[in-house]
Amino acid sequence: MTSRISRRQFVVRSLVAGGGSLALAQLLAACGGATESTTSLAIGTPDAPVRLPTVGEPIADGVPLESGTLQLLNYADYVNPETVAAFEERFGVKVEISIYDTEEVVLAKMRSGAFKPDVILGLTDTVLARMVAAELLQPLNKTYVENFGNVIAGLRDPYYDLGAQYTVPYVIYANGIGYRTDRDVDTSVFVGDEGWNALWDSRYAGRLGVLDSYRDAISMAMFRNGVFDPNSADAAALSAAGDELVALADTTRPQIDVLNYEQIAAGNRDIALCWSGDVLAGQQYLPEDTGVEVLGFWYPQTTITANDFFCVPRESSKPVLAHAFINHLLDVDNALANQSFVGYQPALEALTAEKLVEAGAIPESLLSALVSPETYASGKRLVSLTPEVDALWLEQWTRFTAG
Amino acid sequence: MNLRQTIRHAAADRVAAHRRPRVLPVLMWAYVVWSLVPVAIAVLFSFNDGRSRTVWQGFSLRWWTGDPNASLLHDESLRTATINSLVLAALTIIITLPLGTALAVGTYRWRSRGSTSANSLVTAPVITPELVVGASLLLVFTHLYAMIPLGLPAQLLGHITFNLSAVVVTIRARLAMIGGSYEEAARDLGASRMQAVRFVLLPLLQPAIVASVVIVFATSIDDFVISSFLSTGAASETVPVRIYGAVRSASSPSLNALATLLVLISITALFLGIVALWAIRRRQGENVSLRTVLAEVTQADA
Amino acid sequence: MNAQPITHRDRVWRVIATPGIAWLVALFVVPFYAVACVAFGRIDPIFRSAAPEWNPLAWDATTAVGVLGDISNGPLRGVLLRTVVFVVVAVLISFIIGYPVAYYLARHAGRRRTLLLALVVLPFWVSYLMRMLAWVNLLQPDGFGSRALRLIGLDRVWLDGSATTVVLGLVYGYVPFLILPLYATLERIDWRLVDAARDLGASSRQAFWRVTLPLSKPGIAAGALLLALPMLGDYYTNDLLSRSPNTEMLGNQIDFFLNAGTQPQRGATLVLVLALMLAVGASWYVRSVVRQVAEATR
Repeated sequence: MTSRISRRQFVVRSLVAGGGSLALAQLLAACGGATESTTSLAIGTPDAPVRLPTVGEPIADGVPLESGTLQLLNYADYVNPETVAAFEERFGVKVEISIYDTEEVVLAKMRSGAFKPDVILGLTDTVLARMVAAELLQPLNKTYVENFGNVIAGLRDPYYDLGAQYTVPYVIYANGIGYRTDRDVDTSVFVGDEGWNALWDSRYAGRLGVLDSYRDAISMAMFRNGVFDPNSADAAALSAAGDELVALADTTRPQIDVLNYEQIAAGNRDIALCWSGDVLAGQQYLPEDTGVEVLGFWYPQTTITANDFFCVPRESSKPVLAHAFINHLLDVDNALANQSFVGYQPALEALTAEKLVEAGAIPESLLSALVSPETYASGKRLVSLTPEVDALWLEQWTRFTAG
Repeated sequence: MNLRQTIRHAAADRVAAHRRPRVLPVLMWAYVVWSLVPVAIAVLFSFNDGRSRTVWQGFSLRWWTGDPNASLLHDESLRTATINSLVLAALTIIITLPLGTALAVGTYRWRSRGSTSANSLVTAPVITPELVVGASLLLVFTHLYAMIPLGLPAQLLGHITFNLSAVVVTIRARLAMIGGSYEEAARDLGASRMQAVRFVLLPLLQPAIVASVVIVFATSIDDFVISSFLSTGAASETVPVRIYGAVRSASSPSLNALATLLVLISITALFLGIVALWAIRRRQGENVSLRTVLAEVTQADA
Repeated sequence: MNAQPITHRDRVWRVIATPGIAWLVALFVVPFYAVACVAFGRIDPIFRSAAPEWNPLAWDATTAVGVLGDISNGPLRGVLLRTVVFVVVAVLISFIIGYPVAYYLARHAGRRRTLLLALVVLPFWVSYLMRMLAWVNLLQPDGFGSRALRLIGLDRVWLDGSATTVVLGLVYGYVPFLILPLYATLERIDWRLVDAARDLGASSRQAFWRVTLPLSKPGIAAGALLLALPMLGDYYTNDLLSRSPNTEMLGNQIDFFLNAGTQPQRGATLVLVLALMLAVGASWYVRSVVRQVAEATR
């Protein structure tokens, strides 16, 4: 009987154990199984709109509403709890909200079966082509969405989804810099397209945020370098942008997340790359004795404008209810109430910038955060990238986040 | 040094040795304060009247029961998370205890070939980071054991796996103290091996089993790495996963209340365990004191 | 131990242990193999999801080699070095704090030992998240912690993504896991040996360095490993206290690649890298524990 075990024996026994488990795994491999796909992606751009392949059947007309619990998959704090409560009461159902951090997570977890939502909010077209290719979405039946006519005319037939087969627009927004007006923020640089330099200013070290979104952050660095193509496949330009972001990380120790809407309001950050809706939402997260004038937004001359959308998964267990939920949020009054919490502008024709100001939803100091139809049209759009180009972008993102 | 000097030196030193150290107690108490006071403050802030988690604005039960939207009592999703946590912990205990006890007894007494490998296998999870366990379980449930859905089933299996070693360590310590004489005596009196185990060994192991229950419960309730790696969204969220998601954000003191609830659950389990240990040891006629009970628990962690 | 000899060769014990062993093989060992199969498999070109290769003969090391390249001379090198540095510093500070506490408990606590032991054990039962949440609140610019530190002259923003905050957070989180094993070892020391050294003319300091410390070496080694190995896989401390690229640890990268869904193959490869980093320390620890068990049951 050995109580001492030599290193060699230890290694040998570990190998034997490993071999045994290998055999076991081979046996079990029959139970597993992911196969590689060979589909191609239907990527629409503003210049070349695309009609997505119709995968599966939409639900039939006239199906009665389901009851029970609707599983909503959404960004954090991205729908007004009161609007949801109104929906629950109106239809006598419950809504359970699961949170995701980035779109990539949604794609990966829905493919692996971890997420099984009934309706999804907040995705953009950068992930749409892959979601459709993975057969994760179902075509919508607009008879259940009477309020579809409320949507902004220009977005009823979007380039990424001609005929709006799978998607219904939710909100519109633009990229820019959100900041505190009552802190030592140098606003003189916020001119033309020069304002991005502020994010490299070491005076904001430790009090600066960058969006946890690789497309937005890398595009911003490229814009600063004068390359105004947010879908660039140019490896040199991407690499230069990556260098800039690494320099940013060294200079200002940014915090990388999607929580700028509350962190700027709470006073933990003075300045951040954020979406326009973040500062509008920030009004609610201000401490009790602070007014809204402390929030500011700089809208660059050239920037990214975008919209996100609702969609219904193919395996949704309550598709009719899902359509009803979308319809509920397309109602102008509900959308206005939702906006007061979420901040972002709903993509509805009736809720123009003037109407929002009139309704008191937007304070004077934050007029710069509004997206008017002209600014929306003149902005650059982020579209889906092919996997090879996407890999280039992700490589630069790793350089940035790994510090 | 001559002899007289040596003796004087030794005597002086002896006196010095018995003088109570002055710096060490201060360090000791400083450590206790440093490790516990922040938690006490966090608990205190769960009773804050305002939205702030950092500025005291008066005492109120708002975040526990008052606020109709955000308080613990009224937030449905928190209720779901709490139930998930408790169910998961209970199921983990039910499966881990028998499995772990058998594993402990078996590997402890197994002397023939393969025992070293078995013991190594049992010890390895103790120093494996939870990240590695969580990541490997995520990959294996996604790609190999695809018949086991992510969410509660996968989380349960993960919790059991991670807790088995702790149970083995606890029970093994007790086995070392018991030895084999009692069972031998029972066998001499005619009991079969199984009867000896059932009627002699297991009762003697009771303190360690109770300690294991408490440890597994606390570990499972507090775990968030494995639970979050294997979660599927709101339906399978546990309390720590909720807290983790909310700590970075500027949410209200209801977060403090939720964390306090978590701590309360753990401490209650600890308290119940101590009471049970006390009762068992008294019934078994052993020396009973808080000190010996603590020794049971700390030895488990040694 | 005064054990009467039990027939150790009896197969009963092996049978009793088998379910547990089978469980650990299925859910601890096989998952490691699955990680390797993902790391050395292929990725779906469109969705970048993993397509594991179960046959080791068909393993494809391209991604793994790429990751190793990134580590030796690329973006991941900084992360790895930083992780090691953080862990080493945190373990050292933990010892500076933890050893005196354990020593006092073992040697001098006397009547108060039970109470102090209870107080020292208490943080175990407070979840890690609660303890970190407590500090996140205290270190906010207007929190009690920041204000108190300002009073003694340390005026700075603590949650600004600096390495100091993260390392101190690691210390705070992990130090309780050091004190108990140290205490257990120190408690077993025969203090008469120290007294004998003093009788032989050693000063108290000499007695400590030449008797107590060497006797506590096994506890120190085990404690260091119990702390360092799990700490190498830590990602939540950085997530809660900093979230900035310059405090990114290896665990954060693994979490990002696997959980954010973008690159599971890279994530799996990094898990293997981490396991390799742990291997030496882990096998030492496992061997020493197994040896202890074997000696105790001899």
